[in-house]
Amino acid sequence: MTFFEDQLKQGIFQISYCEKCNENIWPPKEICHICFNESKWKKSENIGKIIEFSKKDSDYFGLVEIDQGIRIMGDISSLSTPKTGQIVTMKVSFDSKPHYSFTVKNN
Amino acid sequence: MNNVAIVGTGQTKFSKDDGDVEKLLFESTKNCIQSVENCESKDIEGVLVSTNNNSKYLGAILSETIGIQPKISHSIEHLCSSGTNALISGYAYISSGLADMVLVSGVESATNPGQVLDWDKSRGSFDHPIYWASMLTKSHKTKFQTTEEELAIVSAKNHKQAMDNPLAYSNQPRTISEVMNSKQITDDLRILDCSRSCSGSASILLASEEKAKKISDQPIWIKGIGQKTTSASFTKNTLEEIESTRIAAKTAYEMAKVEPNDVDVAEVHDAFSVCELMAISELGITDNDKSGEFVRNLFNTENRMINPRGGLIGTGHPLGATGISQTIEITNQLQGKSEKRQISNLKTGLVHNMSAAGTSSSVMVLGN
Repeated sequence: MTFFEDQLKQGIFQISYCEKCNENIWPPKEICHICFNESKWKKSENIGKIIEFSKKDSDYFGLVEIDQGIRIMGDISSLSTPKTGQIVTMKVSFDSKPHYSFTVKNN
Repeated sequence: MNNVAIVGTGQTKFSKDDGDVEKLLFESTKNCIQSVENCESKDIEGVLVSTNNNSKYLGAILSETIGIQPKISHSIEHLCSSGTNALISGYAYISSGLADMVLVSGVESATNPGQVLDWDKSRGSFDHPIYWASMLTKSHKTKFQTTEEELAIVSAKNHKQAMDNPLAYSNQPRTISEVMNSKQITDDLRILDCSRSCSGSASILLASEEKAKKISDQPIWIKGIGQKTTSASFTKNTLEEIESTRIAAKTAYEMAKVEPNDVDVAEVHDAFSVCELMAISELGITDNDKSGEFVRNLFNTENRMINPRGGLIGTGHPLGATGISQTIEITNQLQGKSEKRQISNLKTGLVHNMSAAGTSSSVMVLGN
């Protein structure tokens, strides 16, 4: 299990970034794709906005952008039909794969 | 650089049933070699196998199976566009002078694990291609006012065209209404909007100009090639665009010295209905906001210009074989050998094959 996955298991979304290049590195990697130096880790703010969404059965899912540019797919909880651009909060977990769950703010 | 021609082709039928990759490879290879009257197997200097299957050393195994000892043999994997990447590698071996004749064989079994890219952590638990396809479809509908009927026409058209392709996994016609009322996978995707994983194999024999002129009466020339990889993670895409296709197409057109309106026939990567609409726009065949209307017009006039063999949706999608099967269709069309599917007066054909939501694309321009 990688550091990223282990942290997800503990409910923490860690972002790899390069201090020197001032760049987030996504998907997570231990090296910077620009300078090839070792990356650092910082915790996500766990807030994002909906880029696009759809629905499978009765559950919404979609693409959400968190932390200025990191886009991830997850389930979306909303009392009404979500909207693109809507602000969401994020919870994460990991079993055999990552799980990202978003809740529409002021739901 | 030496010119490179397609001199032989062979395929198996595509099937929803699981298949033995070694047997399938041998069958399409045998059909390919037997399609060339004056071909001596021992003259094949390279054997490239494209597949997402986990079987090892298939290049050497296929070589031994057909009793040859080539200079070059190895496998090539690049998800759904493994086939065209293998063909372009074969092209490079010949054009550089490293080989005179290369066999390129693609294969897959229906249960291959290649649909899911575990590496892409951005997909979370939504790792099946239906989820990115839903995002692309929703986005296309919103930005270009694409209707569900226009999306359904892609599938109805390709199923109809596949009825005349005896190698397609199914020859069942599907009406627009049947597609629109087929099982809903997500709010933006129905089961008949999706291509299906299949077992199958397709093989092509490539040759240098000197060799091609000796062994083939109807060589088909690879006149332009473009490839582009923009990422490995689909979440970096602008959802309404396939940038890799646009860039690869521009390179291929420039190399072939043709324009998009010179394309007479094209096989494009319709992994899902929306992909065909996006592909024909990025290839410059039509505009984004007119792609639905363009396909509707093809359907209404029974014009087979796009995906004459039935595309991935109508024919099936054995990942490693798909790009090679697409190329065989364009080759046969340019040779006038497509029987019921034949389009008349063809000069220039195009193959478009892509991977992982269009993060990587290959485009080839062929001519006779």
